[in-house]
Amino acid sequence: MIRLVWIGAIGVLVACAGVLGLRSARTDVFPHRKHLVAGVACTRCHENIEKGGAALHLPDTASCVSCHQRPHDTRTCLDCHAPADAVGRLVEARAHLKFDHARHLTGEAKGNCMRCHIGVADGDSAMRPVMATCFNCHAHDAGRDARSCRTCHKDLAEEGSLPKSHLAHEGDWIREHGVRAASSGDLCQTCHKESFCADCHGVTAPAIPAKRRFANPDGANLHRAGFAARHSLEARAQPGACATCHQPDKCASCHIARGIAGENLRSPHPRDWVGATENRHGREARRDPAACASCHGGAGEKLCVTCHAVGGVGGNPHPPGWSSRQPLSAMPCRLCHPIGAR
Amino acid sequence: MRLSAIAAVLAGVSTAAADPIRLRGDALATTASPAGLLVLGGDGTLEDRVSAEAVVWMAGQRTPGDDVRGDVLVIAIRARTRDGAESARLGRFVSSLGALRPVHLDGASLRVRLPHQLDAEAVAGVPVVLGLGTGRAWDWIVGGRVARRIDDSGSIGIAYEQRRDRGIRSSEELGIDAGAELGKHTDAAARFAYDLLGEGVAEIGFTASHRHGAVRAELYGTQRSPSHLVPATSLFSVIGDVPAQRGGAVITWRAAPRLDIIGDVAALRVDSDVAPDVTARARLRLDDRGRGTVTGELRRSGIGADAWLGARMAARVPVAHGLALATELELVIPDEARDRGTVWPWGLVAASWQRSDWEAAIAVEASASPEYRHRVDALVQLSRRWSVK
Repeated sequence: MIRLVWIGAIGVLVACAGVLGLRSARTDVFPHRKHLVAGVACTRCHENIEKGGAALHLPDTASCVSCHQRPHDTRTCLDCHAPADAVGRLVEARAHLKFDHARHLTGEAKGNCMRCHIGVADGDSAMRPVMATCFNCHAHDAGRDARSCRTCHKDLAEEGSLPKSHLAHEGDWIREHGVRAASSGDLCQTCHKESFCADCHGVTAPAIPAKRRFANPDGANLHRAGFAARHSLEARAQPGACATCHQPDKCASCHIARGIAGENLRSPHPRDWVGATENRHGREARRDPAACASCHGGAGEKLCVTCHAVGGVGGNPHPPGWSSRQPLSAMPCRLCHPIGAR
Repeated sequence: MRLSAIAAVLAGVSTAAADPIRLRGDALATTASPAGLLVLGGDGTLEDRVSAEAVVWMAGQRTPGDDVRGDVLVIAIRARTRDGAESARLGRFVSSLGALRPVHLDGASLRVRLPHQLDAEAVAGVPVVLGLGTGRAWDWIVGGRVARRIDDSGSIGIAYEQRRDRGIRSSEELGIDAGAELGKHTDAAARFAYDLLGEGVAEIGFTASHRHGAVRAELYGTQRSPSHLVPATSLFSVIGDVPAQRGGAVITWRAAPRLDIIGDVAALRVDSDVAPDVTARARLRLDDRGRGTVTGELRRSGIGADAWLGARMAARVPVAHGLALATELELVIPDEARDRGTVWPWGLVAASWQRSDWEAAIAVEASASPEYRHRVDALVQLSRRWSVK
């Protein structure tokens, strides 16, 4: 019985390790080192590298069985003897990078594949060199100064790949991006199109379908899941945050369209909103004036003035120490301060 | 009129474009309002010097009496010199001057790289308002920013922007931004915006992060003063300065190659109320490339009587031939029900399909909220991309 429990526990651990992506130290499925030690040149398997072109130059089964004359399996060799995502990454690289092996077989890299494919012999599962390896030979200063990646990348916006450095959008990028983009806006434009910002910050932006991605639960989306139900709670916890993307009249226009607010409906405010004893509206207005402006903005501001004009029953709405550079004759001062009244 | 302008812009680029013009169409239909949405976009680049982009949308409202409406989101041409030292934009776009809030405008911007690692940019135009044919008089915005790069590791800049509504000054802000890579694995950025008209801090934000192996730690903070975010021509700009603050730390730990654990602990402060804002999230990728995922999340948020506790579970599983199934469930429990229901559930089941340039998705969404006892909606999305040489 105890043995069965142990076997079961080990089975669960092995399964968990697989699910979590934990692997043994041997990360390379293909034994590059073994082939090198045996004196097999890279180009023996990766044929026609010198011709360049769009091919991936991966060995096919025919190439393998030219030496391994008694293969242990009838399946295609690369199905098992290559990291699961290696071929996919190479296909992506071929589609999105301006690169030709033929041009790299002259000069310093001639006859030395490992000058770029560093670590392949040591079990590196990624055949595609990282960007830093390219910079060992290729000067990047001009491209960096020009904020242009098109020397190598065909179209970063379509490619969608992120650099490995601090520029990668880790963490809660939706929250972080405003602070980080403030000092590096031109850098953002190297990958992102104009519409990327406008999809959220545009005044005329609807719910862009490509951004909503309701079928991808992990897609970056500020209004994920049941946001419609909890949005009032979130808005009150971070006053002013909604105004980063939404116009002040967004609340009212949406509520009216959905029949939650409107002229023919009763007041949405609680009983203690305005009164001689209970008077919550002043406190709430100071916390989030944009929320008030959503319904009472523009011509609706006259509602405030009926009580808060100079000499009115509402008293002075300015807090102690309040100051402004606006002249009394300008808007909105003149609403409460008729000419001559201070 | 504007659609023909968009066509002219794209056609102009297409005549000599080195790269193909990319077009995209997205259609979304839902039983919730709006009933239908069609978004068309296109962009093209000419030898990395001139690029043009346009995105328009049309929506059909479900509400009786509402007409089909639409608008232009972006229509812009961008040109730059070969070395990138000068660039300019013309059209409708979102302008962002350093620490100042982004503005959607019809206008032009110019960026020039100066000696001594200085950058200068200027922007001028008319703020965009909803509606294709809306007339505006004496509404304009003008601003500029000067920044100095600090070697290759950062920059610091100062920006100024003034906005007028009907000729009256409605916003005048000064912003300072800074960002720097402090080490190979450490960086920081900050921004500060001051309201010159209302005389007060409009917005402050900072973030600093450090990565050590599989762990990334971030400290962040924000302060917003809503009274400085409304136009100075509004009566609501004169009722005082009650900033809302949020500060906290995020730890992101790649616990295993396919497992990320994220903890976000913050404090919220609005007026005299202080409350915690805590999120714990775990995400397991079902394959090395993350095409399938399982996510679990617990959250404690809100402030005062509006605090709430939430839990979310989500999963996406690729099936075969570009087909994937997804489901998502969220439960929110408000601290004070106040006749709004003790639990607000939300759930979604979706299927998506992607092949070549086509994408399609269908979903059923069900929820109960303070506004309604229960509700079931269906969503359908279809997208297609084209390349035209």
